[in-house]
Amino acid sequence: MARPSNTPSPSTRNKNIVDQAKGGEEEDEEEIVVSHIYPSFMIPDIFTGYPPVRDALVTDSSVAQDQIANECRHFVAGEDDILEYNEHGVPRLSRDKHIRFLHLALGGLPGRFVAVDASRPWFLYWAISGLTILGEDVSRYRNAVAETARSMQNDTGGFGGGCRQLSHMATSYAVVLALALVGGEEAFEVIDRKAIWRWLCRLKQPDGGFQVCLGGEEDIRGAYCAAVIIKLLNLPLDLAPESPAWTEEGDKNLLTGLGDYVRRCQTFEGGISGQPDAEAHGAYAFCALGCLSLLGHPSQVIPRYLDVPRLIAWLSSRQYAPEGGFSGRTNKLVDGCYSHWVGGCFPLIEACLSGATTGGADLAAGSLPPAPESLFSREGLIRYILCCCQDLTRKGGLRDKPGKSPDAYHSCYVLSGLSSAQHQWELVPPEEQEEEPASAGTEPATSTTRSVAAAAVADPLWVVLPYFEGVQIFDQRDRVRPIHPVYAIPHRNQQAIRNYFLAKEGF
Amino acid sequence: MPPKGKAAPKPKGSDTTKTSSSLTAAAQPASSTAPNNTTPPATINERSQRRVDECQPYEAARQKAGLRGLSQAEQFGWVSARFARSDAAARSRLGPKSQRELWRYVNDASLPVRVLKKKLVSNPWGVDRNGRDIGSYSPAQFDDRAAKRINLTVLAAASQAFRDCRERTKKIALDDQQNPDVATDSEVQEERERRREMAKLRKELYGDKMPGKLAQDPEWDDVLPIPHEEPEGSLAAISYPDDYAEAISYLRAVMENKEYSPRCLRLTEYIIGMNSSHYTVWLFRASIVIALKLPFVDELAWLNKVALEHLKNYQIWHHRHLLVENYYPSIAGSPEAVASFAAQEQAFLSDILEQDTKNYHVWSYRSYLVGKLGLWDNAAELAAIEAMIKDDVRNNSAWSHRFYLVFSNPAHSTAGTAATEPDPAAPAAIVDREVQYAQDKIHLAPQNQSPWNYLHGVLVKGGRKLGSVEPFVADFVRHLGDDDKEDVISTHALDLLAEIYAEKGDKEKADLALRRLGEKWDRIRIGYWEWRRKCLESPAAAGGTEAGVAAAVAA
Repeated sequence: MARPSNTPSPSTRNKNIVDQAKGGEEEDEEEIVVSHIYPSFMIPDIFTGYPPVRDALVTDSSVAQDQIANECRHFVAGEDDILEYNEHGVPRLSRDKHIRFLHLALGGLPGRFVAVDASRPWFLYWAISGLTILGEDVSRYRNAVAETARSMQNDTGGFGGGCRQLSHMATSYAVVLALALVGGEEAFEVIDRKAIWRWLCRLKQPDGGFQVCLGGEEDIRGAYCAAVIIKLLNLPLDLAPESPAWTEEGDKNLLTGLGDYVRRCQTFEGGISGQPDAEAHGAYAFCALGCLSLLGHPSQVIPRYLDVPRLIAWLSSRQYAPEGGFSGRTNKLVDGCYSHWVGGCFPLIEACLSGATTGGADLAAGSLPPAPESLFSREGLIRYILCCCQDLTRKGGLRDKPGKSPDAYHSCYVLSGLSSAQHQWELVPPEEQEEEPASAGTEPATSTTRSVAAAAVADPLWVVLPYFEGVQIFDQRDRVRPIHPVYAIPHRNQQAIRNYFLAKEGF
Repeated sequence: MPPKGKAAPKPKGSDTTKTSSSLTAAAQPASSTAPNNTTPPATINERSQRRVDECQPYEAARQKAGLRGLSQAEQFGWVSARFARSDAAARSRLGPKSQRELWRYVNDASLPVRVLKKKLVSNPWGVDRNGRDIGSYSPAQFDDRAAKRINLTVLAAASQAFRDCRERTKKIALDDQQNPDVATDSEVQEERERRREMAKLRKELYGDKMPGKLAQDPEWDDVLPIPHEEPEGSLAAISYPDDYAEAISYLRAVMENKEYSPRCLRLTEYIIGMNSSHYTVWLFRASIVIALKLPFVDELAWLNKVALEHLKNYQIWHHRHLLVENYYPSIAGSPEAVASFAAQEQAFLSDILEQDTKNYHVWSYRSYLVGKLGLWDNAAELAAIEAMIKDDVRNNSAWSHRFYLVFSNPAHSTAGTAATEPDPAAPAAIVDREVQYAQDKIHLAPQNQSPWNYLHGVLVKGGRKLGSVEPFVADFVRHLGDDDKEDVISTHALDLLAEIYAEKGDKEKADLALRRLGEKWDRIRIGYWEWRRKCLESPAAAGGTEAGVAAAVAA
């Protein structure tokens, strides 16, 4: 095979690499700029130059990629003179501005927001979660969240996007998390658990997955959101007879076949698609891993259903240099929200791998070594977040990438990604965990059948620590609060809502 | 129906107009003796003032100059007019002769005996919607306004008649169990026009807010909208534009009644036009289409238009999915019908993908369509994908679709096999063809990960050893480990090479490849490469479990 003619020879390419390492194509000019203005920055050259291997062929994808890499390079290189950078060339987290931005997002939205009329519960979750991660006390929203949630709840179970909209899995998930975040009995009591259980039963499909709403699509969001709702609310797993998955033998429950459904969503690339037979996508990878991590210990469940090495290969490929951030799909651009969707997969993967060493794991994972200190470049992600994703104008908020407007969605998931990059999670291996109290959650769902409640599967015990390996490029004051790697809310909020419902007898 | 204006003094309305015009006629003769004014009055207030003045000749002059400032004749005239108007008791003080003279004079001079009030009430006409004194209108403007008010009254009466009639006939129809709405289309259309006209007039005259599109549509008269109620202090509340708020309130009402009707279909279209991600509306629409057995082609044609307008929308594609689910059984028996439908869909998908080549929803729908219509061996499908890969060899969505199209074909795949598992049913010829295809594309841009992932996937699926492509892969990596001469044309090749070495049991070379990736060629992923190095020491390891499985299958 001949070398493709459009590939430069090693010598010229190496020269380019050297040039790029200095910060750009134009050697002279870049040298002056870099050494003159920012002599003290310690920015590794992978974040300031182009990657060492590039193709000459130009297509739409490469044009878009080059453009964004170039733009990010300038942000990551600390070339914005209105900003203050630390000695690592990283700006501070504009905590106050982001806090203000998120409080505003909870206030009234102008008329042009009509397009999100079916996603208002998401605004509750995004804003309140973002504020929580930034250390704000959100309990003052308790009453307002409860009232808002109540207006979105349907008698037939679940929460819609707004008053009298059909109940939807995604909006129900968002409402339940928002209620968990503000906490308190007043918030928890909004939820009609019996109705939401019935509703989930009606959404459960014979193939194991969940529809997102009655008559709606079946996808992996449904699988993840259902699992979270079932767990947090400690719902009985029994199926109501109106469920499409119900069988006379009574051998099916709400979680039956869920792992198999997730398995069908893994693609040849190793990533996870939204529904079987589609393209691997970052957001769905998180849904898949989150869902599986709720079915049992990640070190056992994840390898049972997924090809872990291919998945890790694909997840790892999502991180790009020089940008440092994650993309959602092969050959797509980085986007701040994948800091959570992809970044948030790593704690679960690490848990999956670390379980293996303690001997309690499945055979499939038994052959895989534990992760090194980090499977992805935390430095890269943190640089991308702090340099490229912050709107540092007066407005505040976090965004997809430079040139995009900040919004609540990106603010939440960028901050969530920052949180996961700044912390590490350890999962107590299954055999070292204490069994859940046997009485909890075994209250019969109906008078005739004895229920297996969600609590019967012992919750894996997660322990969080700040991540201290290597150079810490961010200011200590910019470490944000940790959140639970599966539920995406702080650990104590998750415990509070779960314990509240564990203690309940019946619905 | 009486106008609901906030501003104008309605009750005085048309009556006033009439009165003033009759007065004008009566006062006319007086003009000869009154101060002569040839220019027409500029405003209504001025016209009124003139009329007042005409009733009281010499009064204006007197006010200006005082009684003594008037000529004797004028003084006489002024006094006579006063006497003529004063009560009989006052006049009785004059002798009979004087009274006769007075009346003769009054008669000759046509002095008005009855007069308008001397002082005008301030602002007798009220103000218009802009707060402007209607008295400051020109007579022409004023007449125009008056005409509009009359028009409005007439329209309101006709509209009321329409409603009453409809109400009556509906009652009768319901008693007789007939179709309740007996108003003909043209009557409804007339009424619609009428209300539009009325709304326009009310806005113009009184500044009334235009009523909602639906509230003034006779078609919706029988629906009581359920308005939006947001709890006090609710979060992220949207200040809905009026049209949207109105439409949603009607939607709630008809959904509550499970009304599947043509007007509801139009309502969904109207709402989707304002908010295309309102999933509730979409599902309602699907129910209507199915309940009314509306022609699939029509709905699809409409949907195509909407899809092109809202490229990023999620719901559109699920709607399409539901339509096809519903429609397919009717054509399933006819291969020609299926083929023609498939061709039509492919044409549309090409159009839309041209605008947004990696649209996730479109591709997901496309893979659904392949399975539903059984397009596995459809040459056009594969050709369409190849064309897209040719356009942009980095379009991973197209690669992904190709993998599905080729390796999920039920004719030569095993149901239930995971995507990253080998499938013994995959024919060698097809595996060969796909390996070759991927390799050809890799040559175009060796650092493009899509065909590398594809190649890897094909080899695993085909149960081939990764090593079967070693010569091809090795060509993209030169002098590995030689500091001066080492050259990597594709990091993905180096990655695959590491797997190949591991598969062969050459841990040292595999380790070197991974080390060089972390050290130099793909440093951002160093954590991953380090983990892969650790994998080399694990038992079944290599680059992944599937490599082990692949080896087992090959053996």
